[in-house]
Amino acid sequence: MQQHRTGPAWGQEEKLIPLSHTILLSAVLFAVGTVGFLVRRSAVMMLVCVEIMLNAANIAFIAFARHHLSMAGHIWVFVVITVAAGEAAIGLALIVALARERGTIQVDELRSLKG
Amino acid sequence: MPTLESLPHVLPEVALAVTAAALFVLEALWQPRGRARRVGFPLLALGGLLAALLFLVASPSSAEPRFFGGLLTQDPFSTFVRGVAIVATALAVGLALGSPSLPSNRRVEYHGLLVLLALGMCLLSSAGHLLMIYVAIEIVSLTSYLLAGFDDRGGRSAEAGLKYVLFGGVASGVMLFGFSLLFGLFGDLSLSGLGQALAHSTTLSTGAGRWATLLALVFVLAGLGFKIAAVPFHMWCPDVYEGAPTPFTALLSVGPKAAGFAVLLRFGTGLWPELATDAAAATSALPWLLLLGVMSTVTMTVGNLAAIWQDNLKRLLAYSSIAHAGYMLMGVVAGGREGPGAVAVYLAVYLIMNIGAFAVVSAVDRSAHSEDIGVYHGLGRRAPLLALAMAVFLLSLTGLPPTAGFVGKLYLFASLIHHGGFWYVLLAVVGVLNSVVSLYFYARVLRAMFLESAAGEPAPVSLANSAAALAVVLAVPTLALGIFWQPLAAIANFSGSLF
Amino acid sequence: MFRVWAIPLIPLLGFVYIGLLSRRLSRRAAAIVGCSTVALSFLVSLEGALQLLRGEEALTATFYTWASLGDTLVRLDYRLDALSGSMALIVSGVGFLIHLYSVGYMHGDRGFNRYFAFLNLFIFFMLTLVLSDNLLLTFVGWEGVGLCSYLLIGFWYEKSDPPPAAVKAFVVNRIGDFGFLTAMVLLLAQVGTLSISELLQSAPGAFEAWPVGALAVGLLLFLAATGKSAQVPLYVWLPDAMAGPTPVSALIHAATMVTAGVYLMARFRPILELQPQVLEVICAVGAVTALLAALIALAQRDIKRVLAYSTVSQLGYMFMGVAAGGGVAGMFHLTTHAFFKALLFLGAGSVIHAMGGEQDITKMGGLRSKTPITFWTCLVGALALAGLFPTAGFYSKDLILADVLHFGEWGRILFAMGVLTAGLTAFYTARWLMLIFFGEYRSPHHHPHESPAVMTVPLVLLAIFSFGAGWGEHAYAHFVGRVLEPPEGHVPGQVIAWASGAGIVGLLAGFLRYRSLVPGPGPAKGLARVSERKFWVDEIYDALIVRPYQFLSKVIASWVDGGLIDTALVNGSGALVRAAGRIVRPLQNGQIQVYTLAMMVGLVAALGWMLWS
Repeated sequence: MQQHRTGPAWGQEEKLIPLSHTILLSAVLFAVGTVGFLVRRSAVMMLVCVEIMLNAANIAFIAFARHHLSMAGHIWVFVVITVAAGEAAIGLALIVALARERGTIQVDELRSLKG
Repeated sequence: MPTLESLPHVLPEVALAVTAAALFVLEALWQPRGRARRVGFPLLALGGLLAALLFLVASPSSAEPRFFGGLLTQDPFSTFVRGVAIVATALAVGLALGSPSLPSNRRVEYHGLLVLLALGMCLLSSAGHLLMIYVAIEIVSLTSYLLAGFDDRGGRSAEAGLKYVLFGGVASGVMLFGFSLLFGLFGDLSLSGLGQALAHSTTLSTGAGRWATLLALVFVLAGLGFKIAAVPFHMWCPDVYEGAPTPFTALLSVGPKAAGFAVLLRFGTGLWPELATDAAAATSALPWLLLLGVMSTVTMTVGNLAAIWQDNLKRLLAYSSIAHAGYMLMGVVAGGREGPGAVAVYLAVYLIMNIGAFAVVSAVDRSAHSEDIGVYHGLGRRAPLLALAMAVFLLSLTGLPPTAGFVGKLYLFASLIHHGGFWYVLLAVVGVLNSVVSLYFYARVLRAMFLESAAGEPAPVSLANSAAALAVVLAVPTLALGIFWQPLAAIANFSGSLF
Repeated sequence: MFRVWAIPLIPLLGFVYIGLLSRRLSRRAAAIVGCSTVALSFLVSLEGALQLLRGEEALTATFYTWASLGDTLVRLDYRLDALSGSMALIVSGVGFLIHLYSVGYMHGDRGFNRYFAFLNLFIFFMLTLVLSDNLLLTFVGWEGVGLCSYLLIGFWYEKSDPPPAAVKAFVVNRIGDFGFLTAMVLLLAQVGTLSISELLQSAPGAFEAWPVGALAVGLLLFLAATGKSAQVPLYVWLPDAMAGPTPVSALIHAATMVTAGVYLMARFRPILELQPQVLEVICAVGAVTALLAALIALAQRDIKRVLAYSTVSQLGYMFMGVAAGGGVAGMFHLTTHAFFKALLFLGAGSVIHAMGGEQDITKMGGLRSKTPITFWTCLVGALALAGLFPTAGFYSKDLILADVLHFGEWGRILFAMGVLTAGLTAFYTARWLMLIFFGEYRSPHHHPHESPAVMTVPLVLLAIFSFGAGWGEHAYAHFVGRVLEPPEGHVPGQVIAWASGAGIVGLLAGFLRYRSLVPGPGPAKGLARVSERKFWVDEIYDALIVRPYQFLSKVIASWVDGGLIDTALVNGSGALVRAAGRIVRPLQNGQIQVYTLAMMVGLVAALGWMLWS
């Protein structure tokens, strides 16, 4: 993958949206996802929070790809979307299995394995 | 090397992919019953794994180690770890034969997923590009989530799977964010490119650049630490190990860990190439080595201390496997040629003894339906051969001579001591101290097996199953390699180099 | 052709044979195999020793060459020289007699075959420890004897949890092992070899530039020795280890295993000498242990506990003897002690056998006429322990005290402690004898009887050695003097006068005091109570180490998760490790969010640390 370092330098203003703004958005999203994961008790919501974290990284990739004028970042995002879909499917499948067996998807009630 | 010329070098991976696909397709189209289902599909999986192993052994040597435009890097170390991953998977297939913890109507999927997992581990151990690392880690993780939740006899397995998926999701999210930062900082995604950029950049040594680099490194470490179950990214490990079906737990404790160590080593030597030749010269890698050194100390200490209280054998072995990740991290810290060599030796030894120990747990579980230490009371009299095999594995896990585990530990300690320097020797001493502590809980199991009598009328332990047979078979090399360790020395010589 | 490795290997074969056939083997066959293998290795050792006498310096044999580790070649060598040869003779010789005795003592026990298998395994590990010329192999033996000790202490406790005594012994010995392993790491790092003979040759040069390293290695090796040989402060496990069968106490906890530390010191004298402070520390710790244990032995009521504390005390003597002077004195005392202490333990076993399991000496008495052979042999053993002329104990004790008198600045003080210990030893020995064999028979039940010949014959043989071994003083000093520095000249008359005087006074005082007096039931009064309660060392350890850790772990655990701490920790030293385990555990509470939080906290901590540094 060839790199052309011709984009504006780190932190420099761009025409439309500056890089720093996008990165800030990505960081905020990442924090939202993390905090959400830590405070929500529903397994589904926690899974959603994981998706938010992944998408935070996606935004950063896109921004950096634009910054470096490299396609690698774009390709990466597609891969991540695919993987995230798989992860969500598996997570939901396990949640359904658990809901059938235990009748709950609250993670604070999943404490048969501990110590 | 471009794509088409690269193909002959990834024949093992191709064989695995074809086998996995064949298993899924045959199951969907044919839906066989009876013997074909019970024996045929495991045999097919084993055949695919064997073919992959043969391709691996016979793989053509190449002057240029990078394939698919730098996505994969093949060196002796990756070849060795791929071998470990394939053999571990084959052993897991053997363990699964007739295991009650796997639903009989979904056996075929189980084998397909196992082969897929092997594919992921092979890719992970030779990944030389951040994207490849991410994809391979996810292949390993996603199949592992499914396999951990495979047992449908009660909620424990599904709970383990869900915990695994949630924790793994966060860990990989954090790692992904770290990758994006690395990409933003250096504009490159291949490890070699990152290494060059890192070597030539001067602005990164101070200020915000240093900040961001360290942040990225720590975040990446979260994902890799999750794979090898190092503290503080280990918390999923005991719960998942306990809840997952035992044949899969055996594989989980060895295969993904081995691949994780391969990628951890490759990440380090990719970013700081001097680590591969002379770790002492790599001053720029100091933060990375410091992190790993502290992680090693904390990991083995926490693993060993927490294991002391465990009454469930699977859980005990889970903590023990955390501690062993700490031991192996010592080899990663030592670096040079000797460090990876020591890690490789330990992986080989660990493969045999840990799967062996889980095989015993699996064999006992089949008749006693429990993994509690209570059912091991008097095992020395009820099933002497099995108890003897377990004793060999436990002594080996402790690292007492004349077992293979001792040789493995010796290589790890020696790599640190030969490296020299106060902190390195201190780390070795901490490792020694930890081995001493670990004897405490391994000996508890020995005691239960040989010196205590079972309460009431315990169920007889049958030796006529694949798990017991595997346990007895694996005990032989565990002992033999402790006495004749030339093969291990050959491994150290062969796989010490990464590029 | 002579093969040194045959000596340890023969008992191993015995173990394998008995162990594999365990239940299919008749007791008679197990006994024959168990005893004859040890006898055979005694004969092979004897043949080796004879070859040494004919002029060979040492017999070596490479049992197996392990692959090289870097540029370090790991060879498993066995080496028989004068020092290791004399130890091998003691181990296999005394070991054989105790095997023989066990045939009678364990008669009728359910685990008869298992017992002999373990005993043979022990002999194998002990001989490996003694004869190995590679530190790693020594460590195999070192760990192996510890494991056998652990297994045999708990031999009669199949049904309940591991007896606290076995666990205590196990944990305390891990502390010692830590010393051993760390010393090994340092030696490998600095000298670059693990071969003992090479180490002893090149260590002085290698440590010339790093005296602190030599100091550390010496002290760490001594730490290992204090664990295995029950010295202050790690002696607490040995008295509790008496829970095992009595022949085991005689073999492992009196004659052989506990002397491994002394042997280690003798073997590594050239390295210990690099830093003279190390020798001073060893000598001082030995003197303190000897005195303290003798004081504790004064008021013990259990027939075996008196002997156990006496063993701790005599081991203290050996350390003094190995550190002061040339080291021969300590090894000679080790030899004579092996005879008379094994004799006393076996005698005690015979008494317990006769009394139908009674172990309280205040409830015995008058056994002189009922068990005459046991009485006469025990009398010889007791006189040897008290150091009375012309028994073996007299010669070896005087040799040590003569060395100590001229050792360093503190020689006179250490000598005084040694003499005081000699007096106390004689006193409690007399008490032990009087309460068991003289006076009225005090037990209300049971008709005591003499033990069978298979038990009394070893007693008589050991008594002969305990009586006469001292006359071989010069021959022994000459023989072992090839490895260690032989003592110069004769023992001064002044030393003999002091030591024998203290011994005779102690004996007379003991005989007079306990001629008619029998300590009543209930706690003793005054100073005797201090002794009876063992100086409250167990309680002090409990208060200083166990309780604070219990408290700490309770507080922390109740913060994190209220319900986890329920039972108090019974065991002393293990509590430290286990409490730490308990602190780690409550985090793993099954809550995935707590897990993730731990990960995040770890990440932030790592990041903060990286940025701060």
